[in-house]
Amino acid sequence: MIPLLSDPTLQTVAIGTALLGVMSGVLGSFAVLRRESLLGDTLSHAALPGVCLGFMLTGARSLTALMAGALVTAMLAAFAMVLLVRYTRLKTDAALGIALGLFFALGVVLLTHIQATGNAAQAGLDAFLFGQAAALSRADLLPMGSVGLVAVGLVVLLWKPLKLLTFDPEYAAAIGLPVRALELLITLLVALTVVVGLQLVGVVLMTAMVIAPAAAARQWCASLHGMVIVAALFGAASGVLGGGLSALTPGLSTGPVIVLVASVLALGSLFFAPRRGLVPAWWRQGHRLSRTSSDRVLETVYQLACEHGSGRYRVEEGAVDAYHGMTTAAILTSLSDRGLLEAVEHMPDEGRHWRLTNAGMSYAATRAGRPDEVLGT
Amino acid sequence: MTDLLISPAVAIVLTGMLVGAAGALLGVFLVLRGNSMLSDAISHAILFGIAIAWLLTGATSGPVQIFGAALSGVLAVFLIESVVRTRRVRQDAAIGLVFPALFSLGVVLLNVFARDVHLDEHTVLLGEIGFVWLDQLTIAGWVLPRSVVTLAVILAMDALFITLFYKALKLATFDPELARTLGFMPTLLFYGLLSLVSGTAVAAFDAVGVVLFICFVIVPPAAAYLMTDRLGVMLFLAVAMATASAPLGYISAMALNVSIAGMMALATGGFLILALTFGPRHGLLARRARRRRLTDQPTEGTSSA
Amino acid sequence: MDRSANSPPLHEPDLALHVEDLTVTYGERPALWDIDLDIPPGVLAGIIGPNGAGKSTLIRAILDLVRRSAGHVRLFGRPYRAQRLRVGYVPQRSSVDWEFPTSALDVVTMGLYGELGWWRRPGRSERDRALRALEQVGLEGLADRQISELSGGQQQRVFIARALVQQADIYFLDEPMAGVDATTERAIIDLLRDLRDAGRTAIVVHHDLQTVRSYFDWLILMNRRVIAQGPVERVYTADNLRRTYGGQVALLDTGHDPAAL
Repeated sequence: MIPLLSDPTLQTVAIGTALLGVMSGVLGSFAVLRRESLLGDTLSHAALPGVCLGFMLTGARSLTALMAGALVTAMLAAFAMVLLVRYTRLKTDAALGIALGLFFALGVVLLTHIQATGNAAQAGLDAFLFGQAAALSRADLLPMGSVGLVAVGLVVLLWKPLKLLTFDPEYAAAIGLPVRALELLITLLVALTVVVGLQLVGVVLMTAMVIAPAAAARQWCASLHGMVIVAALFGAASGVLGGGLSALTPGLSTGPVIVLVASVLALGSLFFAPRRGLVPAWWRQGHRLSRTSSDRVLETVYQLACEHGSGRYRVEEGAVDAYHGMTTAAILTSLSDRGLLEAVEHMPDEGRHWRLTNAGMSYAATRAGRPDEVLGT
Repeated sequence: MTDLLISPAVAIVLTGMLVGAAGALLGVFLVLRGNSMLSDAISHAILFGIAIAWLLTGATSGPVQIFGAALSGVLAVFLIESVVRTRRVRQDAAIGLVFPALFSLGVVLLNVFARDVHLDEHTVLLGEIGFVWLDQLTIAGWVLPRSVVTLAVILAMDALFITLFYKALKLATFDPELARTLGFMPTLLFYGLLSLVSGTAVAAFDAVGVVLFICFVIVPPAAAYLMTDRLGVMLFLAVAMATASAPLGYISAMALNVSIAGMMALATGGFLILALTFGPRHGLLARRARRRRLTDQPTEGTSSA
Repeated sequence: MDRSANSPPLHEPDLALHVEDLTVTYGERPALWDIDLDIPPGVLAGIIGPNGAGKSTLIRAILDLVRRSAGHVRLFGRPYRAQRLRVGYVPQRSSVDWEFPTSALDVVTMGLYGELGWWRRPGRSERDRALRALEQVGLEGLADRQISELSGGQQQRVFIARALVQQADIYFLDEPMAGVDATTERAIIDLLRDLRDAGRTAIVVHHDLQTVRSYFDWLILMNRRVIAQGPVERVYTADNLRRTYGGQVALLDTGHDPAAL
């Protein structure tokens, strides 16, 4: 195990993917909260032509040049999208799809153009579709790291305005914050994240890196800073685990493995996060079941009967469920076994109904402190 | 004459035209409903179905593959809806969670189990329309490219669906609540539509790849949306522009020696730019002319449009 | 009870609308609780309550658009499913994208799709009926206009025409006066009065307390449950209004809050 950890390639991969994970988590949190999750999808597909252009202009596979090109076309795509939404009747979803599709098509055209020229160095360009972590070199970490540092640094610096913009954009505009500039900044930072991740995850899958860690973190924290930190951790974990796994297994592209790890984390959070998780919610419902005494449920039936002025009033099971926020079928059945309730049918398009028996009526009336009250029939 | 159909150029252009027509037909309703990105999700998710279909049956093409992979497109939509229903994740995030996961699962499966088969993520992503004329079928003495046959059948199914359910689709897209109260089951209709999108995507991936399929589904309908205020005309224009993009794209690609599918997709973009500029009511030139006419007139209080 | 018939037997056929024990839950709390409503035919009824009172939910539950946790609904004695064509629905204007490529006449014609069913196409007679409905709301000159070019008030009228074309016996309107100018509002209320005078029933979710007494004959005050219902003179009292608008309404007077369990 230890010799593995000291392997320089793996170290590089680990650092690179952790860096990507942190950036994705941080910026993704803003994208997800602002309901712009799919912007990452468009930006990452739009990065492809930029990668090709960077290559064509410099003739070499220098990561900085490719990243610069990717950033330019990604921002152009974002710009085109905003223009489409602002000046035509097209909606956001159509604009996203148009920018995504057409820019990617341009990328494919440029890619085949490069391939046609037979340039030997272009073999590595293919890796940008799905990522090839093993191709990451030490030298590449420097531009990646600097960009990452700048991006996260800007977020920290502008924390307050960004937080306000995310949660209450109208108020932010009202107090004079430069809303358009801030939104542009967020888009730029997401584009930077995408660009950093190209080498590792590829254009097709960067979407998931922007969304999954943030969506997962949202299930654990309601506060923005908590969510951002947890998202960064989840992102880093997905990156390192996924990147490591793919580097160790020959023939596995990095991108898909990292995305699978991130997706599992997101799914797990959806099910198991302490307060919002689905499983804890189900457990709480069951727990409520054991704490809701049958006396309480009987009382609900009794109260409804009182309100409707008749001891023979039929209560539908769904109404009792709705009042107690859980399925009360078991309790109602046990009350029926004790002779306090009886099941009846009412309308054919309704569920089962229950009503008090005479024994049930006097029991409930006694408990309510009105032992001599007799409900009319 | 029969040889003409399997000449490379004709086979390629015909395939592109069929993909364009089928995609645009369905895309009109997706764009109007605001679900354009579902085509992105479905297109990526079918890779999972393709991988599973291959693992289970060894099929790399044909009706089994199409059906199986189409199911995974519907599965993706179902999963997205389920995630949204938990009310803990919004729709855009749900889309971006589900399809990359399915796609990645498909890629990993192919990487591990299907190394040697002509079935890899590059093909799925980019397609190889240049080779469609090689794979041939013989039907009733006619030799045809397989892709043309498959896509023609799919196009017929799509056209049949739209024709049969035109009224219901129109109502369900415009006002799903009223559609429901009048008994038209909009949810079922949309799952039907999305199943067809799935099936069409699978049939098309071999030729143009999934991402370029998205261009055919979204761009021509969007361009048509900018040019007309009638649904029927929008459908016609979308199909016309998508179909025209195929030969235009092919010619440009041959001239520039680049990806054919890519140029076909860019051609749809060309039509969009034309629509943006010259659209009779919503195009930029028309808007500017309208504004100039308004500012030329003396203002008489407020006018309600 | 006769269960041999295909449809449930008639239940309260003399009432235009009969709702009993209606409960609707979103998540873990009831949005509507134990709603009992009886509305006779031929009235112009208003549904009033604060924001979040469940007024829209009530209409949608009646029309089977949301799932009921409990209770049943009868329109002229039959469930909604059996009475679709006799019910006209005017949803909130914001529920639809008005950039959809279609004309005013086309939207009104859509109101007849229920009659036509899945396969029949709208023909000459349907177009004529749609045109007449547009005349009723004063928009016959705008029949071929693209709906995105209509003003808010005109769009609302198109929606109403779409319901009118069905010549239904009972109409549900969700905030029809929201965001329309005074002329349109007057036109709408005149239209509703004509319907009432012709013996139809109209049930309207309304937001403006000022106009309640002049517009409606029948009133339903609600805040997740029905506070009071009946002829407007009897129901529109200071006491009822205070109970409706005065904050959280207890579902049952038990003193127990089940959510605290």
